[in-house]
Amino acid sequence: MKEKRAIILTVLVTIAFAIVPFFLDVTTSYFGYFLFLSFCYTVIAQGWNLVAGYTGQISMGQHAFFGLGAYTTAIIWLHDITKTGYYFDPVTMILSGLVPVILAIIIGIPLLSRLRGDYFALGTLGVGEIIKVIFVKGGAFTGASDGLHLRSTVFESMKPYYWTSLFLALFATAVVYFLTRSRVGLALRAIREDETSAASHGIHLLKYKIFAFAVGAFLAGICGSLYGIYLFHINPDSVLKLDWTLYPILMCVIGGTGTIMGPVIGAFFMNALFVVTDIYLVQLHPIVAGMLIILVMKFMPRGLIGLIDTIKSRRL
Amino acid sequence: MENHLLEVKGVDVLYGDVQAVWDLSIHVDEGAIVALVGANGAGKTTLLKTISGIIHAKRGEILFSGKSLAKLSPQEVVDKGISHVPEGRRLFSKLTVLENLKLGAYPPRARPLSAKSLERAYDLFPVLKERKNQTAGSLSGGEQQMLAIARALMAQPDLLMLDEPSLGLSPILVRTMFELICTLNNQKVTILLVEQNIHQALKIANQAYVLKTGKIAMSGRGDELLANQEVQKAYIGERWSKR
Amino acid sequence: MLKYLSVGLIAQLLVNGILFGTMYGIAAIGLSLIFGTMRIIFIAQGTMIIFLAYICYWLFTLLGIDPYLSLIIIVPLSLLLGMGIYQALFKEAAALEDKNISLLIAIGLMFLMENLMTVIWTGNPRSILTIYTSLVFRPIGIDLTFTRLVALLMAVLSTAGVVLFLKKTLIGMAVRAASEDMVSAALVGIGPHRVNAVAFAIGIGLAGIAGVSLATIYPFDPFYGFIFVLKALISLALGGIGNVFGALLGGIILGLLESLASFFLSGGWSDAISYAVFLLVLMFKPEGLFVRSIQKA
Repeated sequence: MKEKRAIILTVLVTIAFAIVPFFLDVTTSYFGYFLFLSFCYTVIAQGWNLVAGYTGQISMGQHAFFGLGAYTTAIIWLHDITKTGYYFDPVTMILSGLVPVILAIIIGIPLLSRLRGDYFALGTLGVGEIIKVIFVKGGAFTGASDGLHLRSTVFESMKPYYWTSLFLALFATAVVYFLTRSRVGLALRAIREDETSAASHGIHLLKYKIFAFAVGAFLAGICGSLYGIYLFHINPDSVLKLDWTLYPILMCVIGGTGTIMGPVIGAFFMNALFVVTDIYLVQLHPIVAGMLIILVMKFMPRGLIGLIDTIKSRRL
Repeated sequence: MENHLLEVKGVDVLYGDVQAVWDLSIHVDEGAIVALVGANGAGKTTLLKTISGIIHAKRGEILFSGKSLAKLSPQEVVDKGISHVPEGRRLFSKLTVLENLKLGAYPPRARPLSAKSLERAYDLFPVLKERKNQTAGSLSGGEQQMLAIARALMAQPDLLMLDEPSLGLSPILVRTMFELICTLNNQKVTILLVEQNIHQALKIANQAYVLKTGKIAMSGRGDELLANQEVQKAYIGERWSKR
Repeated sequence: MLKYLSVGLIAQLLVNGILFGTMYGIAAIGLSLIFGTMRIIFIAQGTMIIFLAYICYWLFTLLGIDPYLSLIIIVPLSLLLGMGIYQALFKEAAALEDKNISLLIAIGLMFLMENLMTVIWTGNPRSILTIYTSLVFRPIGIDLTFTRLVALLMAVLSTAGVVLFLKKTLIGMAVRAASEDMVSAALVGIGPHRVNAVAFAIGIGLAGIAGVSLATIYPFDPFYGFIFVLKALISLALGGIGNVFGALLGGIILGLLESLASFFLSGGWSDAISYAVFLLVLMFKPEGLFVRSIQKA
């Protein structure tokens, strides 16, 4: 029953978001941009959620997948690989999601089979840095540090970006939702609770960990693709910065890792907080981010959702 | 009401959702050797860990010299006078014998007596003096067990808890071990002993408890239990009951 | 490029690498101590080093205190800072099963500090210039920068200091014991919080020394800390956790690697190579390159 209610609520909220552009000029309004960015963060955060919340591995390489997605999209267009020449082409986006998946599998096999916990986080960090160097050094193909410029988009309005990002956010959340309720999800949770026990029950640890990692990479990649189109100037500094890993982690953690709505709530909450602090001083928001992560980890490690659960169970 | 050195009253211990010990009550009198025997998984190690503070009981009381051990951490329990030699010894294998011993006297109550305790340890275990600069990991099984006990004694305990001290030792060493335990007891060390080697344990124990799946199945004096038919059949085997 | 190659040049590269690498080394020793007791990778170590480098810089710029003299202030300050940070941020988290929480706190701290420093002190690179910062000796034709030599000296002395502390003092022994088996340590009376705090304090103390070295050798900015800690981690991986001299040597090896790579390849690639080496060592020889024979348990 609670489930049905949650689903109905989600549908309603989605519809509410979907009709916003009819009431608000999302192209010029800051609120429209805020929603767009929140949806984007949600996508990446859900990807991280799957890896960290459900398999317990902290990945610090999401920004590499994000950037890879952006670059892939740019390269596909500039070289007209898909011969579509049409800007909002799902094929391009899916391809941009798949390239990070390939990377995830390639590095996932050695990293996930040998590294645990902190070491894995470091490994992904190292990979992220290597990717950055590769792109900076990529010469004409990747545009080096200046990056790649796309023809400015046919769409002058923000609306397509807005709806696409909303769709992606919904998609990402749905992916996490369905995965966690499937047999795969059970296996993932078993792995998070107790790896040795899971293994002794025949769960192929590596396969599942890589699967989660790849899905996380896919989500980060398609988000990168969208954002790349939005920015239409893709360079290492803008799409490969560590912020694209740290902020989604923060949002997921604040909302509640290992929950379905956690990343969503976290993304909106943090983004709103950033907007508020931006009023005072733009550079303030990474500071706030850092401080928040410390406070949340110290006082509510289960995030806002955990807090709500605790309050609810106290009231019982 | 007698005053016991250690009193465990109605203790329940859980590992997560699994209950390991049910409403357990035992007591240890000063100067005695008390044995806890029973099959694997009966809850003996769990009980020792609860007393020494590694895990905490969900219910019940543990009193040492009349004072509760309830909220204390392991390092505080040691300072109160209970030393626990865990199963498998768990020495600091990368540190030397001497370093292991010195660390044994870490609690504030034991530190001023460190030098004297060291002398006593060397008297009891001359082999440790010989090997004092060797790493603990390079000692043989028997020597490691001796080091573990010596280290525990450095804390000047009023109660020494030993978890399976004879595990993995050859029969000769096992006998040496039990003789050692008696010697210590003669030197006024109260001992709570957990053992798989039921025969030897009951032989030297003043008081013993037989544990089965987290509850006390039987209790009594060591020699009584040893002579008891049920105990013999269940744990010691037909051959021994003829002796 | 090869036609410029000469023994002198190679020697120069080697010397530079060794001297710079010692900074990575002491940062790595700090990381090793913290990991040994708390079992987390303190990823904010590099940022702490930068912070303390800034302190050194400001003591010099505003109060005219010579960098090396400022060690008298900075070392006790960093020890206290370390203890304070442990108490405030990591004490409860360290006791939890889930080490990810401590890791996230460290990430948050790094993020917080580097951005705070950028706001307060701007992102412009800083360096210290004194009469001796450009002093160079030229024995046998190789340039030996004075400040780098002093950094080497400080590194060697601090390493020796740490080793003596760990071997000769009771609390140092307790740290070693707790690093091996925290539960057993508790059973002999060693409180985990005490050893964690001590290890952490020393870790930050070493960061202070690295900070002073850095301030005198190389320009630094708030975001350099992250890169620095990655290098320190690589050094630690090379040297093996728990091995103090190994960590120092790991740093030196990395310094050599970087020095040679950045000469023969362009800048960015040498970083990529360092990270690649890091990944390889983590995966194939996680116990480090200098493992002695395994002892019986």
